[in-house]
Amino acid sequence: MRKMWIIARHEYLVNVRRAGFIIMTALVPLLGVVGLLIAAFFGGQASAFFERQFAPEPKEIGVVDHLGVFTPILPAYQDRYHLFADEEAGRAAVESDELTTLLVIPEDYVESGQVMIFSKGSGFTAAVMEDSASVRRFFLDHLLRDEVDAALRKRLADPIKPVLVSLEAEGQPQGGPLSTGLNIMVPYFLGILLIMTIFTSSGYLLRSVAQEKTSRVIEILLSSVTAQELLAGKVLGLGALGLTQVVIWLVSAFGLSRGAVNLLGVALPLLTRSEVFILGLVYYLLGFLVYAVLMGAVGALGTTMQESQQLAGIFSLMATIPLMLSGFMFSNPNMPLLRVLSWFPLTAPTVMMLRLPMTEVPVVDVVGSIVVLLITIPAVLWAGAKVFRMGLLMYGKRPSLAQVVRALREA
Amino acid sequence: MTQKMLEVHNLVKRYNGFTAVDALSFEVYEGEIFGLLGPNGAGKTTAIRTIMDIFRPDEGTVQVLGQPPGTARERIGYLPEERGLYRDLKVLEVLVYLAELKGTPRSVARPRALTWLERVELADWADHKVKDLSQGMQQKLQFVASLVHDPELLILDEPFQGLDPINVELGKGLIRELQGEGKTVVLSTHQMNLVEALCERILLINHGRAVLYGPLDEIKRRHAPHTVRLRTPAPLDALAGVARVEQRDDTFTLTLEGITPQELLRTLVERNIPVEAFEVATVPLEEIFIAVVKGRSDA
Repeated sequence: MRKMWIIARHEYLVNVRRAGFIIMTALVPLLGVVGLLIAAFFGGQASAFFERQFAPEPKEIGVVDHLGVFTPILPAYQDRYHLFADEEAGRAAVESDELTTLLVIPEDYVESGQVMIFSKGSGFTAAVMEDSASVRRFFLDHLLRDEVDAALRKRLADPIKPVLVSLEAEGQPQGGPLSTGLNIMVPYFLGILLIMTIFTSSGYLLRSVAQEKTSRVIEILLSSVTAQELLAGKVLGLGALGLTQVVIWLVSAFGLSRGAVNLLGVALPLLTRSEVFILGLVYYLLGFLVYAVLMGAVGALGTTMQESQQLAGIFSLMATIPLMLSGFMFSNPNMPLLRVLSWFPLTAPTVMMLRLPMTEVPVVDVVGSIVVLLITIPAVLWAGAKVFRMGLLMYGKRPSLAQVVRALREA
Repeated sequence: MTQKMLEVHNLVKRYNGFTAVDALSFEVYEGEIFGLLGPNGAGKTTAIRTIMDIFRPDEGTVQVLGQPPGTARERIGYLPEERGLYRDLKVLEVLVYLAELKGTPRSVARPRALTWLERVELADWADHKVKDLSQGMQQKLQFVASLVHDPELLILDEPFQGLDPINVELGKGLIRELQGEGKTVVLSTHQMNLVEALCERILLINHGRAVLYGPLDEIKRRHAPHTVRLRTPAPLDALAGVARVEQRDDTFTLTLEGITPQELLRTLVERNIPVEAFEVATVPLEEIFIAVVKGRSDA
């Protein structure tokens, strides 16, 4: 136990002095300050930008009404929606850019709900149409115009208007699209930072192990401590290093947040949901443990730094899957694919870190992913230490998969 | 008998069907310098790694300082053949860290490391990074790293590889001093002259098996070709039991057959032949080594 702490302290002190670590740690708050100043300077423009980004809606829309409900178009919609007698005429209008989108309502629309959308744009247009509040209102108003009064129709189109009453004195989100944007962007960005920290610190671990192996210090170490003590010490020391980075970033983020209140009149939504924050840290620790042990084992397998890094690439790729799925993350953080990935130990920490700030994640996913991780970590530790011990002393040639499997079988 | 520092009994270690160490048994006693010899790939390093608990034996038992391997790590110093140090750390930092891992408190490790650096003439380099040191200096530093925690048993695998003759002498002196301080040293090497100069007992292994084991002088005597060197001013007539005589100036080299050197000496005295010098010729260990290793592999 004592030796594990000595190793942990050594790893921490050696790596905290690395230029890469210092630069990375300082860069994030610096970028925040720069971002804040730019935002303060271009405050108005930024608002408009967010408005455009989060509400890109088609301008002129054509309608071919095979059902008959949309004829005539209600006066309130007449300047935006235009009736066309048939599909050909409407499509010609899209071709000639008179319209951005053409909706074709089939006769069986009420049963099927299907609407054909013609547009020069991509599939993205369809998604925007589906989500757009104004399109929804257009449909509801026309479908229900003879049956329901105007006020209720309006409510049906937009049943919930959340009014957030924050119980904290500061940090009340104020209105406006900038605030809405920040509400999503800041926690998401924070999640990405945590993920990056996992990779930088487990990357240090990979490097530390590979260096001890290539510089041949390893045999001296193994004559002093067990492979398990060595691996555990490294994981502990470099985990603490990652936490240091996270803490520095958070402290500076709070500073920035105050600055934002003063400069922009907008609160950075860092702590509006403290459970997200705490869970974020839990996933950070669990994710770090899984990846650190994996990187330790992989580092021991390669004969050179480059080879170890190549091997590690396989795992890094898996962990970046959630980042590649950012698009889905924004549109539907609770979609089945993301929920499945939340239950897979290698993607669980990163997916959950990104999902949590975006939405109310089902409790079963939170509990499930944590349990899966808690089961995985001892297994990975056990297997990792075995592979670590075997890989460390094989110089010159990389152990084959069969040898790795044999090492795992041997007690 | 003095205390057994190391006891290896019937040790077997195999890799993928290849037997690296085969039914090896030997003992090392307190306070001696023990030579572990053998050609490349004989199984020396494997045997040492098993003793150090880096490998687990497939069969047999190993007792280090009276305990199973791995329990007395802090009382053993180990200089592996495959060795290196943290190149980006400072010399003193490395020594203190390695001593700490061997259970020496920081406060003790620091002054002791400095004393050792003084002893191997590296004191000026304490605050330099390891990578700034020359090859020879790094070798010396590694030597120090293996004993800065003041171990009772030192296992040195090829300690003088890459050292110039001056530093080899320094190293030899240090090993003798360590023996003088009561430490036990196991020395694994190819360099026979070092073994002859330092070791009291040796083990020669080949193909993982013990080929020669015992006190060095006894082994040398056993393998002496029955030759005697004799200096005398008198002419030598035919002597009983002497198969061949070679003469250079007044020194004769006699090859004996069926008699011992002692019996020859008695005959010389009885015949009143003036003996100015009489010496039982020994062979260098190197020749025994080559003869034994080749003999076994030819057989």
